Amino acid sequence: MSGQNNEQMLEMYIFETEQNIEQLETLVLSSEKELGFAEDALHELFRLMHTIKGSSGMMSYQSLASVAHHLEDLFYYLREQQPQNVDYTILSDLVLEGIDLMKVELQKIKNGEEADSDTAPLIKSIEDYLQLLKQQNGAESETAVALAQPDSAGGFCARADAVTYKAVVHFAADCAMENVRAYALVHSLQAEANVLQLFPADLDDDDSAEIIRTKGLTVYLQSELEAEQIEEIFWQTPFLNKLELTVVDSLQSEEAAWDAAQLPKQQQNNHTAASNSVISVSVNKLDKLMDLVGEMVIAESMVIQNPDLNGLELENFEKAARQLHKITSELQDLVMSIRMVPLATTFHKMHRLVRDMSRQLQKDVQLQLIGEHTEVDKNIIEHIADPIMHLIRNAIDHGLETAEEREALGKPAAGTITLEAKNTGSDVLILIKDDGRGLNKDKILERAREHGLLTKMTAEMTEKEIFELIFLPGFSTKDNVTEFSGRGVGMDVVAKNLEMVGGAVSVSSVAGQGTVFTLKIPLTLAIMDSMNVKVGASCYTIPIISIKECLRLQQHTLLNDTEGYEMLMVRGECYPIFRLHQYFNVKNAVTDLEKGVLVMVEHDKKSFLLFVDELLGQQEVVVKALPAYIKERYQSKGISGCTLLGDGSISLILDVGGFVQ
Amino acid sequence: MAKVLVVDDAAFMRMAIKNMLENHGFEIVGEAENGAVAVQKYAECRPDLVTMDITMPEMNGLDALKAIMKINPEAVVVMVSAMGQEAMVREAIMSGAKSFIIKPFKEDHVIETLKKVLP
Repeated sequence: MSGQNNEQMLEMYIFETEQNIEQLETLVLSSEKELGFAEDALHELFRLMHTIKGSSGMMSYQSLASVAHHLEDLFYYLREQQPQNVDYTILSDLVLEGIDLMKVELQKIKNGEEADSDTAPLIKSIEDYLQLLKQQNGAESETAVALAQPDSAGGFCARADAVTYKAVVHFAADCAMENVRAYALVHSLQAEANVLQLFPADLDDDDSAEIIRTKGLTVYLQSELEAEQIEEIFWQTPFLNKLELTVVDSLQSEEAAWDAAQLPKQQQNNHTAASNSVISVSVNKLDKLMDLVGEMVIAESMVIQNPDLNGLELENFEKAARQLHKITSELQDLVMSIRMVPLATTFHKMHRLVRDMSRQLQKDVQLQLIGEHTEVDKNIIEHIADPIMHLIRNAIDHGLETAEEREALGKPAAGTITLEAKNTGSDVLILIKDDGRGLNKDKILERAREHGLLTKMTAEMTEKEIFELIFLPGFSTKDNVTEFSGRGVGMDVVAKNLEMVGGAVSVSSVAGQGTVFTLKIPLTLAIMDSMNVKVGASCYTIPIISIKECLRLQQHTLLNDTEGYEMLMVRGECYPIFRLHQYFNVKNAVTDLEKGVLVMVEHDKKSFLLFVDELLGQQEVVVKALPAYIKERYQSKGISGCTLLGDGSISLILDVGGFVQ
Repeated sequence: MAKVLVVDDAAFMRMAIKNMLENHGFEIVGEAENGAVAVQKYAECRPDLVTMDITMPEMNGLDALKAIMKINPEAVVVMVSAMGQEAMVREAIMSGAKSFIIKPFKEDHVIETLKKVLP
């Protein structure tokens, strides 16, 4: 197999196995809720395990294959035997443990590492559990589909002058399922010959495979065909390795006539499956398509707004141009929509988290999902799963009271966490609500003071400002470590994760009633609302989300700090000034602070001023990655990407975070 | 060049089989993700050979095999099975499957099996 094929297969393997594992998890969790596994669910669980086992085996990922294999056995038993009195909590714990292990292995595979977790303890517990089930439900009964050995006449009828042959056959060493291969061979012989006797006799018994492997299969048959013709039939069997065919005089044993013509009654299954006309495409290809469409939009405006056309009356051209514009914008919308993925998968993952935590902390928690079909760009989804998980963990761990406390307060014993998504124009809002105790203002202030995070008099601070303190780096402490939250990774990480995708987080809370975290995320990373600014002859693009305000020098006081850096006093606070022309070494730029414009930007709650010549205007731009050679030099030095402007000139997109460093 | 219909609910498996067969000059004329689609596609494209997974949603491989044998009693169907499915493979052979391959399979095993069963 070629290297490219291998890579493609690995990609497909990971993609599909991930989906299967996700499906498994959903099924297990929903079955657990219904306090039992329905027959359909068992079938589906068995099938999914079977598929994972098969695919993993093909890719030689033994750990995954063996875990799936043992779980498959377990579900096979449950499905076939339908035992009573099954403790489903142990079952779902076991399966979820298996799912977790498979997830770990898959992640390792994704990272190009060896999938080598120790599966023995888990497999042991699965086996033990299966053993227990079997004991509880009596001895294992024969479950194999018992095929009646057909004995009625039919097929070939031996004539009196037929010759009796003895054949001893061996199969290739590693072909496996020798008894079934023998079965197939006998089946094909029956069309031309009368099979009299076999050794081993019972091919339905899977132990016979071992006998055939060591001693071969002996067949006595009767036929009027020549020896060569008989041999020919034998050799049509795949993996036949050795054949000794001899003519014998007679056969002492009784004649066992075989018949294969007896086909089990078949049921014509009429429902045609709704053929799933969906294909999976690599995200890289979509990125590229997006990129090309972006370039086409720009090329279109370069043609339509071409300076050569100035002053010309071109009625037909205008018509054609309008048509072109209509198609390109439709195309752009379509490409954007392809990249959109519903939040459902991310949301559903939280069920597991809530389940595990509510068990561990002995808090009864209900998770309510609203608007999970809201769609967001694929790239963004990857960045928000962790923040959501973190916020839910916090909500259950710190936000919700224990059942006793809740009852004392007259609240329902079970806490409710609501995860809601909704569209608001170019943004998506994700709300994480709990009906717990709410944020404690005094505690927040106290902690902020301890860590020296207060910049204002506490009396002057609004409620909102106090709450927002929890997003400051250094606010979270480790003094409340539980398994789930308080591991020193604080809310600042949530805020940072969201900033990375151009989003923001805010919080509101009512004491005794609960807390709401609101994540505001853009629909897509590929198109950004931005402000174009001019420095000398160059153009730069600043993301609108980073801009707080734009101001002129006149009314403000210019200061120099001890190291000679320029600072500006705005409403009583000092902000450092970055001169973009200095930073990027731009010639012929405005150097007099009074003649240019100062743009106040914010990153990580730190604000500073960028000095530019003039503002060109606000615009939606298509974000493009920097060419590799520029990236090497300027990565994280204040440039995050570039974009093409309507007139065809290139503008660099500023990465505000880069200046902070 | 033999025309093949590949039936498996796992896209990964279909890809694996497809890659192997195409390396050896087989032509993949169709793929199906469950038995019902397989029967429909069989009737449409009349392949020389079908590789048929057993465990699938909607309609399993055994039922699909039987339906295909009804459409064409001469159909060449090879079951794609796994260890532990012996009983079902036997049932498939009774129902007209020409042979079977066992997951996880090796390329040469698959090719030898398919070449043997093709008329």
